[in-house]
Amino acid sequence: MNIARVLGQASVPWLVATAIASSAQAETRGYIISWFGTATQVADFKENCPEDRNGGGAEWMIRDLISIGYPPAQARRIAAGEEMSEGIRQKLSNRAVVNGKHVSVYNYPDAVPDPNIETVTGKYAYGFDLGGANPAAKFEDPETGGKVDNQLWRAIGCTAAFRAEPPELPFPEHVSWTAMLETSPGWSIMISGDDLGKDGDVTVTLDRLTQHPERDANGDIMSAASYIIDPAARSHNELRGRIEGGVLTIEPADIYLQSEMPFYPEIALTNAHMRMKLQPDGKLVGYWGGYFGVLSFNYMMTSRPGHGADAIGIYHAVKKMADADPDPITGQNRKISSTWRVEAVPAYLLQTDGHIVADAVMHTAGVSARVANAGGDE
Amino acid sequence: MKKTLDYGSGRGPGGRPGSRLVTGLVASVAQLALIAPVLAAAPAAGEVPMSWRLGPSQYRQSIAEIFGPSIVISGRFDPEYREAGLLTIGARTASISASGLERYGELARNIAEQVIDEQHRNTLFSCKPQSEDTSDDACAREFLGRAGRLLYRRALTQHELDAKVRLAGEVAGIRQDFYGGIAAVLSDMLLSPNFLYVYKTVERDPDDPQKVRLDGYSKASILSFFLWNAPPDDALLKAAESGELHTRRGLKRQVDRMLASPSLETGVRAFFSDMLGFSEFETLAKDPAFFPRFTPKVISQAQEQTLRTIVDVLLTSEGDYRDLVTIPRTYLTRSLAAVYGIPIADTTDNGQPEHWIAHTYPKDDPRAGILSHVSFVALHSPSGRSSPTDRGKALRELLLCQEVPSPPADVDFAVVQDTTSTVHRTVRERLLAHSTDATCAGCHKIMDPIGLALENFDAAGGYRTTENGAPIDTSGELNGTKFDGPVGLTKALHDDPALTSCAAMKAYAYASGRMPSRTDPALKELQSEFEDSDYNFVELLRQIALSEALYAVPPSAAPRPDVVTAAR
Amino acid sequence: MKSLRSLTRRRVLRGMLAGSAVSVGLPILDCVLNESGTAFAADGAALPTRFATWAWPLGLGEDDWVPKAAGVNYELPTQMRALQPVKKKMNFFTGGQVFLDGQSNNVHFTGLQGLMTGKVANTREYLGSIDALVSEVIGRGTRFRSIEVACAGSPRDSWSARLDSGLQPAEVSPAALYKRIFGPDFQDPNAAEFTPDPDIMLRKSVLSGIKEERQALMSKLGAADKTKLDNYFTSLRELEQKLEVQLQKPQPLQACSRPATPLAQEKLALTLATEAVERHDLFAGLLAHALACGQTHVANLVISRPQSGLRRDGDATAHHTHTHEEQIDPKLGYQVTCRWFTNTYMDALRRFVSTFDAIKEGDRTLLDSMVVFAFTDHGSPRLHSVRNYPILTFGSGGGRIKTGLHIPRPGDQVTRVGLTIQQAMGVQVSSWGVGSNRVTSAISEVLA
Repeated sequence: MNIARVLGQASVPWLVATAIASSAQAETRGYIISWFGTATQVADFKENCPEDRNGGGAEWMIRDLISIGYPPAQARRIAAGEEMSEGIRQKLSNRAVVNGKHVSVYNYPDAVPDPNIETVTGKYAYGFDLGGANPAAKFEDPETGGKVDNQLWRAIGCTAAFRAEPPELPFPEHVSWTAMLETSPGWSIMISGDDLGKDGDVTVTLDRLTQHPERDANGDIMSAASYIIDPAARSHNELRGRIEGGVLTIEPADIYLQSEMPFYPEIALTNAHMRMKLQPDGKLVGYWGGYFGVLSFNYMMTSRPGHGADAIGIYHAVKKMADADPDPITGQNRKISSTWRVEAVPAYLLQTDGHIVADAVMHTAGVSARVANAGGDE
Repeated sequence: MKKTLDYGSGRGPGGRPGSRLVTGLVASVAQLALIAPVLAAAPAAGEVPMSWRLGPSQYRQSIAEIFGPSIVISGRFDPEYREAGLLTIGARTASISASGLERYGELARNIAEQVIDEQHRNTLFSCKPQSEDTSDDACAREFLGRAGRLLYRRALTQHELDAKVRLAGEVAGIRQDFYGGIAAVLSDMLLSPNFLYVYKTVERDPDDPQKVRLDGYSKASILSFFLWNAPPDDALLKAAESGELHTRRGLKRQVDRMLASPSLETGVRAFFSDMLGFSEFETLAKDPAFFPRFTPKVISQAQEQTLRTIVDVLLTSEGDYRDLVTIPRTYLTRSLAAVYGIPIADTTDNGQPEHWIAHTYPKDDPRAGILSHVSFVALHSPSGRSSPTDRGKALRELLLCQEVPSPPADVDFAVVQDTTSTVHRTVRERLLAHSTDATCAGCHKIMDPIGLALENFDAAGGYRTTENGAPIDTSGELNGTKFDGPVGLTKALHDDPALTSCAAMKAYAYASGRMPSRTDPALKELQSEFEDSDYNFVELLRQIALSEALYAVPPSAAPRPDVVTAAR
Repeated sequence: MKSLRSLTRRRVLRGMLAGSAVSVGLPILDCVLNESGTAFAADGAALPTRFATWAWPLGLGEDDWVPKAAGVNYELPTQMRALQPVKKKMNFFTGGQVFLDGQSNNVHFTGLQGLMTGKVANTREYLGSIDALVSEVIGRGTRFRSIEVACAGSPRDSWSARLDSGLQPAEVSPAALYKRIFGPDFQDPNAAEFTPDPDIMLRKSVLSGIKEERQALMSKLGAADKTKLDNYFTSLRELEQKLEVQLQKPQPLQACSRPATPLAQEKLALTLATEAVERHDLFAGLLAHALACGQTHVANLVISRPQSGLRRDGDATAHHTHTHEEQIDPKLGYQVTCRWFTNTYMDALRRFVSTFDAIKEGDRTLLDSMVVFAFTDHGSPRLHSVRNYPILTFGSGGGRIKTGLHIPRPGDQVTRVGLTIQQAMGVQVSSWGVGSNRVTSAISEVLA
């Protein structure tokens, strides 16, 4: 069994170790996150948003035009496309006034009044019980039936942009996620345990990778590609978890994954929970929950205004619904309970020295995608 | 990647010294006179053609060697045809279609435009015209003489050169552009059959006036396209002109030089590309729904993987040819590794071309040897599911030189379509009829058992142990030797004498342009020498290059005393 | 045939479009044509006759697709229902066979070899296909003697071969074909002004340099090499001819208009039948324009090679494999999956033919002055049968053949159809074919 050589120049070919890392665990499976977005719950839109008054792009443009003094009839005409001009666009963008000067509302969203968009009043949302104090603010998870905290969904669930169901991502996330994938490093999930086909305790490790996700011939994220884990500690998360009935959960912990614009600048979840199903086709599909930074969320929303999301309406709604980590001076909650839908496909994970640390298991019959490894333990 | 052209020392980047236009000696009139008068004799009517059409890779290599690798060749070539399993043999009978000539014409104009452009003219021309707005016969003669010798792979005759200089002058006059005149003639030359075809011409043998022999230029072309897949360089042309190639010693000297050159790798790659049928890659496609990891990158990388492996075993290590089918070492990229399901550590920066990384499989890994490469198992598979028949046929024909006959007419597949049977889950089950029906069994039993042993590899090259949920039975047979799975197959193949005798046959056929009969004495001698050398492939190339049979002229070609010599 | 240079033309708009010159021809309507729109007014010369072949893989199926009735009142078999709208302009030949005369049946090849060249041989020689013989007569004087295209990505998918220079490789990219025909060298026949391009004049005269080399070469070569050299010079002559044509004022052609540029395709090799017929539609459009603009009079299209690797989406097994392995449905009497392919191709054939029929030339259509010759490798491919070949023709070739007929010729040489079509197209030949495939009389009920 060859242990691979020391990291050299990128151009030096080296022998690759063909044995799995010897660790205390008997099996380690690797994945790369192929899908990450807000966990939407769209089936009950009518119950969620009985007023249905948020509308779409036209509606919030009309609202914003009215807020800067346009008569409603003219605002409707402008939003319909007549009379729209670059000048009006500029006026809309720069309607915030700070120190007497007109500035971009996307940089100073607090300088305009809360448009007070409709927020979710329905019963269902995906998530986890994060210990939120107010029972009235909890939703019921349609999958588990449990009471869950998901104020983020409450804030954004009635907007047109977030009315999307898998395989569709909400539009702003879709655009940003796709743009990020092409140029930014991916995230890995590693699960180690005695036998991942059976119930038992496991270790879950989240990391950032040095390479961006590879696409396959269909344009999806490729399964069974090899990735090298970024050794930087910042995005390294070791979590204790458990597999039961084919579902992975973790003991609540804080998670941090460095991210890139144009997506959320960081995936930082405090009191993070997780449930992910190990599907027969080898994929992981499920949910992460936890408290997410209000600024992080809103930063992405306002940095690409007009990308199918009512950025200002959302900004204010999220601030209002935020339910944790109050600012010591202002009292404004800086974090919001949230749930994210996550998918991951099998991937080989290696360290920078070439050491293989995780296997890509394509089918949960336990048959590795690999041919045979040195120990003959296939 | 910028390459600096160092023409001062006569070496181009990565090129052979002295092959470039700038550094070739002028084929002066004096030298022309030294060439033995060429008898305008024609070998007997109805013979197999001795000449061949330049293949696309030979065309590209010629332009790169003569005008430099910075000349961009953007165009399509007439498709090549295989005969007796080799494109080089097909090239012997290939003509150029009307649409093909159109394309060659465009290519020629395009190349000529680049040769005379501001960037290239300073390095490729060793003279400057008196005035750029009109003709300059002396400079035209200098350039066209040198270019012509390298393009036509022989010195131009006085008459030819005069005609070209005249034409260049006329065009220069009409266009008021010296370089425009050169470009017109150059594009003509690139379209001429003298360039597009490699002709073999004969002369009277001075040692035996009753006989004819190939002239020196013809020998030079045979040698250089065989060993380097490129036209003769200046040194080889000089050896032809001086008569050196007609002597045993002189020939040996040139062969040694060529085998020691880095250009040998180009030639060996070209040979194996042809022998292993890589032209099929042009139309290779796999259904992405079934094979998502088979991305477009994989198609070109797959060829490179196998060629690198071959070069590694046969040239770098000068190893035993048979090891090609059992060697556990190969080269992978990240994309190829994904197809094979192998983890690999590649630190290529995002967006850059992938690195090639040496990879060694463990002992007795089913992936050892080139049979497991995408270039074999995926190339000889349809776009959806795998076909053991295809793979068995390919192995027989490409590696063992054993022809498989066409299927018979009016084959009745009723046996396969038994209405009472359940769905056949594995290919083995589906192919059972091939082995039980008398009309089918004769041929299929020499193909299917080989391919069935490779069924662990799906149509894209990935490894599997089950098909549609049923486990795959990989027992097979080759010429009486039974085995289970790819490891057994490759071992049986390694020990099969046909593997090495076929290599010798293909290499000889590739060099000579015709498939020898199995009893051909020259072939038998080559095969015996190959065995004696422990199947050293470079030695095989040497033996072929030095064999008299390679330069043989059909015996019926007799000199015609009444024909005027062509010396001009 | 080039006698119409003195006609007056209308001015052509020339504009610069995205940096490349584009000419938009204003159609010349009846002032050029005679009163009945059937001929050029100036000298009564007939509109040029055009010819096209269309090859599809793997026949019509294992059921009995021969209509019971002969003549005009016959019913199309179900797999050809898509052709109902064009039935009146169609002829359906059935029953013809290829005789092997002891040669082996190289499946998916020998039948076509016989049908298209009149000769079967173990050597797989393939020379002088029907379209090449026809193009000898009607293909001179156009910029391209013929144009070959193939829809699945391989240039070797071609059944067109000249007598003297062999198989013509096919164009596989619509974008490349567009560039070749309608790119910078395109001369609009409806252009008012015509000035020969001096560059082309120069190119043509410079080619003489190559011709001068011929004598010297010929004297040094063996017979087989000389033949190859001859083939080369045949192709060179065609190249010269192309240039020559471009130096002359083209005839006006009412129906000529430059088509839209197809987008360049990324991948050339296709594996799905639906993709191949999409590419087929692009080619059909381009060929129709090329024919209408007089760039060529002969076009040849092949869907894919007979051992078709084309598949249905989601099915790993190719059409060809299905023809051998799929069960014949006992109730329906045919193979269901194979039928899907045949339906797809017949649909494509209808579109092909309709594309030509949609181009008006006077009171007729382009199709009316054409013959489209559609053929396949085996009528019933499951058993590689060389009996009972279906051949479909469309168009009357300018009134030279009758249409709307089912012509059953059970047991007859299928080469008789080829002879009939050649004669209709003006090939001066009284017999065709070799050995048992030789025929000396045409099918008179089809000739007008």
